[in-house]
Amino acid sequence: MEVVGAQYMRNVSRTAKVADYVFRVVAGFCASSPAIFLLLIAGIVVYQSIPVMHFMGWSFLTHTRWDLGNLYGAMVKKNGVTAPVGASYGGLVFIVGTLLSSAIALVIAVPIAILTAVILAYRVRGAIAWILSILVELLAGIPSVVIGLWGILVLVPWISAHLAPFLRHVLGCIPFFGGQVGSGYGLLASGIVLAMMIVPIITATARDLLLQVPLLAREGGLGVGMTTWEVVRYISLPYVRDGLVGAIALGWGRAMGETMAVLMVSGNAMNILPSNLYSPISTMAAFIADQLDSAQTDASGMAVHALSELALVLLVITLATNLLARWLVRPRHGRRKEGVAK
Amino acid sequence: MILHHTKWFAGAAVLTALLAVSGCGTGNSTNNATNASAQPGQNATASGAAKTAGSISLTETGSSLLYPLFNTEWIPAYHKVQPNVQMTAASTGSGTGISDATAGTVDIGASDAYMADAQMAQTPGMLNIPVAISAQQVMYNLPGLKGHLHLNGAVLAQIYEGKVTYWDDKAIRALNPGISLPHQLIKPVYRSDGSGDTFLFTQYLSHGSASWSQQYGYGTSISWPGLSSAIGAKGNDGVVAALSKTKYAIGYVGISWLDKAVQAGLHYAALQNRAGQFVLPTTQNIQAAAAAVKQVPSDERVSLIDEPGASSYPIINFEYLIVKKTQPSTTTAHALQAFLKWAIDPGKGNAASYLTPVHFLPLPADIYTKSQAQIAQITG
Repeated sequence: MEVVGAQYMRNVSRTAKVADYVFRVVAGFCASSPAIFLLLIAGIVVYQSIPVMHFMGWSFLTHTRWDLGNLYGAMVKKNGVTAPVGASYGGLVFIVGTLLSSAIALVIAVPIAILTAVILAYRVRGAIAWILSILVELLAGIPSVVIGLWGILVLVPWISAHLAPFLRHVLGCIPFFGGQVGSGYGLLASGIVLAMMIVPIITATARDLLLQVPLLAREGGLGVGMTTWEVVRYISLPYVRDGLVGAIALGWGRAMGETMAVLMVSGNAMNILPSNLYSPISTMAAFIADQLDSAQTDASGMAVHALSELALVLLVITLATNLLARWLVRPRHGRRKEGVAK
Repeated sequence: MILHHTKWFAGAAVLTALLAVSGCGTGNSTNNATNASAQPGQNATASGAAKTAGSISLTETGSSLLYPLFNTEWIPAYHKVQPNVQMTAASTGSGTGISDATAGTVDIGASDAYMADAQMAQTPGMLNIPVAISAQQVMYNLPGLKGHLHLNGAVLAQIYEGKVTYWDDKAIRALNPGISLPHQLIKPVYRSDGSGDTFLFTQYLSHGSASWSQQYGYGTSISWPGLSSAIGAKGNDGVVAALSKTKYAIGYVGISWLDKAVQAGLHYAALQNRAGQFVLPTTQNIQAAAAAVKQVPSDERVSLIDEPGASSYPIINFEYLIVKKTQPSTTTAHALQAFLKWAIDPGKGNAASYLTPVHFLPLPADIYTKSQAQIAQITG
């Protein structure tokens, strides 16, 4: 009986060993792939940008003129790099466009998302809560090209005819809100479209965080006579502060990297910085998507290198945002780390 | 024990899936990239398909303007002529078409613009073969205005440079005597993505304006003057949407979008040609311009902007197929030649039944001869 049992056990352990080995290889391969992909992408982008770094130096970040040069003419050599005559790669317009449009998106989206999350977490119950949550998640699932189409057909004409003249009328004395209202394509349209896309991300995360606030703490607040608003302001929001910053950083990253919807409503400005809220802009992600096809016809290859450097700048800024968020939520001396897992 | 088996099966399934995926990947890339190496007989034997000498595949990427012609007209028709030739087409943009063709990842790159000298020098042995004639119109959104506005390259250049900013500017009024124009800011619309349409339009502007030619030149993407009133829109659909939703806007649209744009309430301009006449992009006027094309070099890389003749429409172009002169095998070379000959033949691929649905016009007789001569240069 012992012998039979040992035989039996040995068989199992061999199978288990194979399974374990397979598991280790597959899991190891899968777990290392994000790091490998990130390094590969970053490496290629850096390598591809080197010729433009030589060609433009730091003025890539400070100049506003983007010109592929005459692709049908002769080549010139500058700083040891060959490029078409008249070529100049200044990315400032796209950097400013990316930062401004994503900042406007945050200004619009954060209050909406947090207040929605408060309602979802504390004020509605049962079927209504379920339906509202589903709707918020459905909003996140709308493809960006659909939002962009809606932007072109509905939002842009509305901004041009109503919202922009209204804002100029009410806030026109503040420099950024005055001036020409333009065609509706531009900074304001991009900000609103981006806000629509990041509201669901921030809302869903904030709702889950607010649900983690201990019921006892909230009831205690109400018990000592605090209003609903005071409970949210002084008990719930401080409790989830770290997680909220993370959620907002996630939304910001998404807003800066978003391509299609912005491309469709931004007006895709070139060689001009926005002068007010209604000016046409262009973002780094949208510009790369737009220009890559023409860039490939540059025999010197510089146009593709220049777009790579723009991608590198976008990567660095997104990474910096992420680090900034981590720094904001760093564990501080004398402040007890509270039980917010995210 | 059941648990262990489940794990083992799961692991095996994952591995199998990975192998299958990577296997497919390799298979596909081989098919796409080096279909040339497919030997006669090989595929036929493998697939068990009978008598044909062997099937061969030809791949095409590039121009979104040429894509409907390939996808809905030529490929189904050619499949009936040559059932053993499998063709696939993809709409990627002209620039990608050219770079795919020069890299050899596809057999045919479709482009609205011919290859630049620098590219030809970099990748010698490429052929730019015209297969059809296309055109472009200038469209605007001026509520209440009937008829066709008269415009020319010089005034259009000034509009896009920001020198002519209102519709009732004297430069526009001078071309349109007796028409009352509104005192409204002009909103110029350009293509933000790389486009053969931008290539044509900026060539027309360069012809009409020395300052445009010097400062901005022409190309599939150019460095547009920074105007706060300008709108960059993606694709012909984006331009039509921007024009139809923005009062007092003006832009350029490919001829295949003419019907849709007119339905959207837009009007198009009569453009001044070299003879000084204002002409509309009608079939007759485009054909007149195509017939006036002279002095086409043997490599056929030439601009057709502003051809002479009283009725010649000024913005027309060749639609090109970019192919390698030296093909990796004689089989591919023969298959490619046979297809290209069929495509430009006025009684076959260049027949109105294929070209009219996409608003292209057939090649004139002397261009047909020159394209034939280029096709004859393809060798295995």
